[in-house]
Amino acid sequence: MMNTQLHEVPLDRDDMVVETRGLTKRFGGRTAVDNVELQVPRGVAFGYLGPNGAGKTTLIRMLLGLTSASAGEMRLLGLPLPQGRARALSRVGAIVEEPRFHGHLTGRENLEIVASVRGGEAYRRFDESLERVGLTARAEDRVKTYSMGMRQRLGIARCLLADPDLLILDEPMNGLDPAGILEFRGFVRSFVEEGRTIVLSSHLLDEVEKTCDHVAIVDRGRVVVQGSIAELRDSGNPTVLVETRDPLATAGLLSTHPAVARVIAEGPAVHAVLADLAVVPELNRLLVGAGQEVLRLEPAHASLEDRFLEITTRLENAA
Amino acid sequence: MSTYALTPSRNLVAADLLKLRRRRGLVAVTALLTVGAMTITYGIIELLHVANPATHGPAGGIVNLGHGAWVASALGAVAAAIVGSMAGTGDLEAGVYRDLVVTGRSRLALYRSRLLGGLVFLLPFVAAGYAIAGLSSVVFAGSHAEPGVSLLVTTGLWALLQVTFYYLLAVGVACLVGSRSYTIGILLAFRLALTPILASISALGIVRELVPGVGLQGLTPAALGDAAQQGPTVPMSTAAIAAVLIIWAAAAVAAGAWRDTQRDA
Repeated sequence: MMNTQLHEVPLDRDDMVVETRGLTKRFGGRTAVDNVELQVPRGVAFGYLGPNGAGKTTLIRMLLGLTSASAGEMRLLGLPLPQGRARALSRVGAIVEEPRFHGHLTGRENLEIVASVRGGEAYRRFDESLERVGLTARAEDRVKTYSMGMRQRLGIARCLLADPDLLILDEPMNGLDPAGILEFRGFVRSFVEEGRTIVLSSHLLDEVEKTCDHVAIVDRGRVVVQGSIAELRDSGNPTVLVETRDPLATAGLLSTHPAVARVIAEGPAVHAVLADLAVVPELNRLLVGAGQEVLRLEPAHASLEDRFLEITTRLENAA
Repeated sequence: MSTYALTPSRNLVAADLLKLRRRRGLVAVTALLTVGAMTITYGIIELLHVANPATHGPAGGIVNLGHGAWVASALGAVAAAIVGSMAGTGDLEAGVYRDLVVTGRSRLALYRSRLLGGLVFLLPFVAAGYAIAGLSSVVFAGSHAEPGVSLLVTTGLWALLQVTFYYLLAVGVACLVGSRSYTIGILLAFRLALTPILASISALGIVRELVPGVGLQGLTPAALGDAAQQGPTVPMSTAAIAAVLIIWAAAAVAAGAWRDTQRDA
């Protein structure tokens, strides 16, 4: 099984807000989290990306002390878990699965409860937290009257009571409409600008790509690749975009060439994943020789989705 | 205050109290089972007396204090089951428990706070209900013998002890099973059905002393006579009663605490 480290992670533990070594969680005979080696650098938005059932929530629950690990080590904000959990979590805000509240209490009262649990400065952060998420006007309404988007924002306000160095958000875009997603993305970026670290789990490739700087891709409980999104995009095989009058015929022709790893036809364009960019003139000759009018032939920027598919396809082929 | 202290702060207990007192239904039911029950009981007896003094005696006096104490302890135990189950499972059933755990606060501190918050919510209702009983037993004594201060106090403490005991059982069971409805069912079955049945089976002999309801019965102030009796009396020493009640309450509370600290939140 591949576990690619795309960039050199500094070994200074102070720079890592989350670090796991061989972290494993088993439920009976099923392994939900399998020997995960995760390193989340400080001050970034980090996407923990994988399909449903890949073990994302289970890993988050172990980090937060909601369930125990079967094996392995964890460090949160430089502190070993579970010994340093209480100290670490006092500087962590988290939303696990969906934000839940006492529906019969108002937004402010729900924050009051968490403030009483956190103690200290949390009481003084009510107003600024509510204002930050735009809920001041609805703070005295019962939470059962809130929309999903408002609950998500109240969840963020609850996290902010801790003035967190690290926010862990589990599938935060679930249930949000496009406006809510856009707003949420804005929150994440503003938190990163303030120097906080965001760990965001998601199965939405596009959202992670738009929101995060770093990513770990998880599949069947294992981290298969991690690093910065820019590095990940540039790390795979080169891709070219080809446009001709007959994209289907073009795709067929390209797929016969041994240097072409994969061909995707999308409308008038064809994306070809190559083993080497040096074969591009050869491909051009192949198309022209077959009577295709080549309107466009240029390097294409791979998306995170392309890389994800490339990696998971390799894994499936290797399995 | 340290965020990882084991003991609950006053704010933490106040927050647990807030969760309960904002539940209108819970407040209404608790008030009905305590203050409402006493008001209705003494109100009806006094109305009957006013309407037909020859047949119905006054609502006050020691005998009626005994009846009031019986109502306070029986319905107080029901209120204790309802409030205790809500205090024990409120966060879990709302899905908020995990959000409290991820603050890093000790689960034991959260548990203790829940335990205290519910008690702070419940006991004033029980005390107010009993105050109506105590006041009525003096004000409406008429031709009956008035209870003295000492009897009023010991009867009140006895009622509070019963309610507190069943409340502790309820919180422990609620945290253990994680379900409000199951907890209420278990507690009501235990208090209202199983305890009287076990207490009445004389063949069980000394085993009956292990039933907490039997011990609580044994603590009934003697001056109340049969008025506050809820079943057959099994002779027990005060020390034995104390030991049985403490073991039951401690076991329930400890089981709930253990489950709370071990559960996947």
